Amino acid sequence: MKKEADFHLSDPTWCGGCGLFGIFAALKKAAVSLDLDPEELVIVTGIGCHGRLNNYFKSYGFHALHGRILPLASGIKLSNPSLPVIGISGDGDAYSIGLGHFIHALRRNISLTYLVVDNRLFALTQGQTSPTSDMGYVSVSAPYGTKEFPLDGPRLALASGGTFIARGFSGDPKQLASLIEKGIIHKGFSFIEVLSPCVTHNKIITSQWFRENIARVEEDPKYDPKNRTQAWKKLSSKGKIPVGLIYVENKPSYEDLILPDKERPVVFNDLSLDIEKFEKIMEKFQ
Amino acid sequence: MKKKGNKITDISVMIAGKAGDGVLFTGNVLAKILKREGWWISTYRDFPSNIRGERTNYTIRASLEKVYGRANDIDVFMAFDCGAVVEHADKVAKEGILLCDGIGIAHTAPSRIEGRTYHIFPLRKLTRENFKSEIYKNMIALGALSHILNLDFRIIEEIVSEVFLERKGKKIVEENIRALQLGCQKAKEMVQSEELHPLVNKADSGRLLLSGDEAIALGALAAGCRYFAAYPICPATEIWQWLAVHFPEFNGLVVQTEDELAALNMALGASYAGARAMTSTSGPGASLMMEAFSLAGMAEIPVVIAHVQRVGPSTGIPTKTEQSDLDQWIHGAHGDFPRIVLSPGTPEECFDFTVKAFNLAEVYQCPVVLLTEQDFGQNLRTVKKFDMTKVSIDRGKLLNQEQLEKIKDYRRYRFTPDGISPRALPGMKNGLHMVESNEHDEYGYRDEDSGNRIRMMQKRMKKLESATKDLIPPKVWGDKESKIGIIGFGSTFGPIQEAIAQLQEKGTRSKYLQMRTLWPFPRKKVQEFLDSCQEVFVVENNFSGQLSRLIQSQVQVPFRLKNILNYSSLAFRPQEISSQIQKVVQ
Repeated sequence: MKKEADFHLSDPTWCGGCGLFGIFAALKKAAVSLDLDPEELVIVTGIGCHGRLNNYFKSYGFHALHGRILPLASGIKLSNPSLPVIGISGDGDAYSIGLGHFIHALRRNISLTYLVVDNRLFALTQGQTSPTSDMGYVSVSAPYGTKEFPLDGPRLALASGGTFIARGFSGDPKQLASLIEKGIIHKGFSFIEVLSPCVTHNKIITSQWFRENIARVEEDPKYDPKNRTQAWKKLSSKGKIPVGLIYVENKPSYEDLILPDKERPVVFNDLSLDIEKFEKIMEKFQ
Repeated sequence: MKKKGNKITDISVMIAGKAGDGVLFTGNVLAKILKREGWWISTYRDFPSNIRGERTNYTIRASLEKVYGRANDIDVFMAFDCGAVVEHADKVAKEGILLCDGIGIAHTAPSRIEGRTYHIFPLRKLTRENFKSEIYKNMIALGALSHILNLDFRIIEEIVSEVFLERKGKKIVEENIRALQLGCQKAKEMVQSEELHPLVNKADSGRLLLSGDEAIALGALAAGCRYFAAYPICPATEIWQWLAVHFPEFNGLVVQTEDELAALNMALGASYAGARAMTSTSGPGASLMMEAFSLAGMAEIPVVIAHVQRVGPSTGIPTKTEQSDLDQWIHGAHGDFPRIVLSPGTPEECFDFTVKAFNLAEVYQCPVVLLTEQDFGQNLRTVKKFDMTKVSIDRGKLLNQEQLEKIKDYRRYRFTPDGISPRALPGMKNGLHMVESNEHDEYGYRDEDSGNRIRMMQKRMKKLESATKDLIPPKVWGDKESKIGIIGFGSTFGPIQEAIAQLQEKGTRSKYLQMRTLWPFPRKKVQEFLDSCQEVFVVENNFSGQLSRLIQSQVQVPFRLKNILNYSSLAFRPQEISSQIQKVVQ
């Protein structure tokens, strides 16, 4: 049985109070409770403060290009489905430069777990406006306030055919860990948006603000995460930001549908040439 | 047309009409018939980027000697409408024959156009009178051609069965054969015996008729590629479409991605996990891939990118040929990183170089580009059967579990004398490492120290030096003693070879350096070639002479290089090359 320490490579150097500490803790918790091995887990990160996670978390890691986490992680998972693959992005990564990939990953339903760390701005590049920044938000890139409406990741995910949609809060690593666990077990694409304050650049959307403005969906006894209509209503309501498992659906995963040999991942193919088979194929060109 | 005595040794048949007329289908069946009759085939398609309505033509050249391009003239011309005649009549040889459906013709057709015999051959009318569907006009046209060319009807029937029996059933096969016979009969009634172009057939020796794209796909399969991710784009899609059919049988995976950004990133993910992975693209797709191309260089992930060039810039002309993306693959993408660019000139080389590309990519842990062109990417050529016993797979310093466990302190990017580090795959025991798109240390973790940066940069670039001995060298063709040199790459191979023969006939001896690896640049061989010449012509399908510029930047050129350029969107005719050389050397 692994311990959390087995996944701890080094102490993070994020700003004190950064939401990423909670995410780091939740990931370790989830890995332990699923009894994963650092050598079988692959974590793909994007560009942003979250991208440093691979430097602190012990596993196979890939710090990818800005916004391209999902296609890269998909390539890993499809060629070796025996590996649990977690993708982590920031809101800029997932909802701005990589948005096209996000929608297609949702509809494709490959068994990846995707955490989008939403701090509502670009932190690593000094606090510019991001697609989830509130209308009117003043930043170095929008000194007179942004004039764009924010993007809603979970609603977009639901509309795009997502089969596992959840939202967590970095200030509640226990709940987040349980969502990540469920996400990893889920057959198909699991998307978890993580509300995570940036203590350095965002003085409005703070940890305290999140605490006051979120509500757990499981506190509503009538809420059924298998009900798509309820999920849409919940995500669209004007009240507090819903956190927890918002929507889950059983659908065949892409790899189950497309892989020719379910028992033998593509990476374990014997590459030596079956000459007889090949000669037969060449005959078609005669 | 070429003749030896009375015997035709080289002939070109053009079929023309509008997109949607079935020009490609008719041409492909004819090409297959002639291939089976023992001819070497080279087809040429001149198609618009449009499904219906616009002008289109397809030329099938058959020769008793191996050919890799189009001829100067058309000998037999079958037009589905008069517009095609207006457009192409001047390309028909003086002793040639034209047949035209005559649809929409307002006046009596002449029996000759400037000496060429001309017949109104009422394809559509015949179809309407005898068949329920207009689709049979293609087979009627083929029937007429079979009479003019004196084709073997048994072979035609055999191919028609292969095409239709499984898909459409016996009844449809019979209807098609009836259409063929009708076309043949009508042509017999109409065409005079002196207008015929009878072909004397030999037995086929089991050669293949395929496109460069298909040869790349076959090469990928043979090389052990089992992961292919791409976005649809002309003229590269045939690679993927072929693999999509055959990969499942070999436990391989073909994924259609949302764009080319995803395609190359996905291939890199699969390769990182241990699969032999590939993508294919063209024009704007290649521009989108530049970002991940640079990642492959930094992260040292093997990958093969097949780029079938089309006309640029921008959307350009998607279905026509050009060689204007050389600069992009050699100089494109941000940062300095090792890359290998190969340029096959024939379908045989497409197959061989694809196998080689996968080995180079894995041995040197870098991206390898297979740069071809629409000209032979989509057009068909006859080749000898590929020799599978020559295919070998070299996975370089890829570690197996046993080897990895023996290593103390495994470092994915360990500094080594040849710059190549032993490679572990995710999921392996004792191989934990990080792959960083940022500059990194030997373990893969981000490291921005300038000393480390210098060492890492040198390590990565060292791999190209190590690769030099392993690359495909340029090849010299023609008269090695001649002082007149020609340099080219890719699909200009065929027209240059024929231009050399044409020059030879006029008493001018020349030689040709076929560039087969474009990067790393084969300096020594190119320098030797230049030093042995007094005059060198660089033949390229682009406006600015990208190869010529590359040569000048890499070696000492003792004289001014002369460019022979063609950016018309059409492949070179041999004459265009030989006449320009003849003018200068006389």
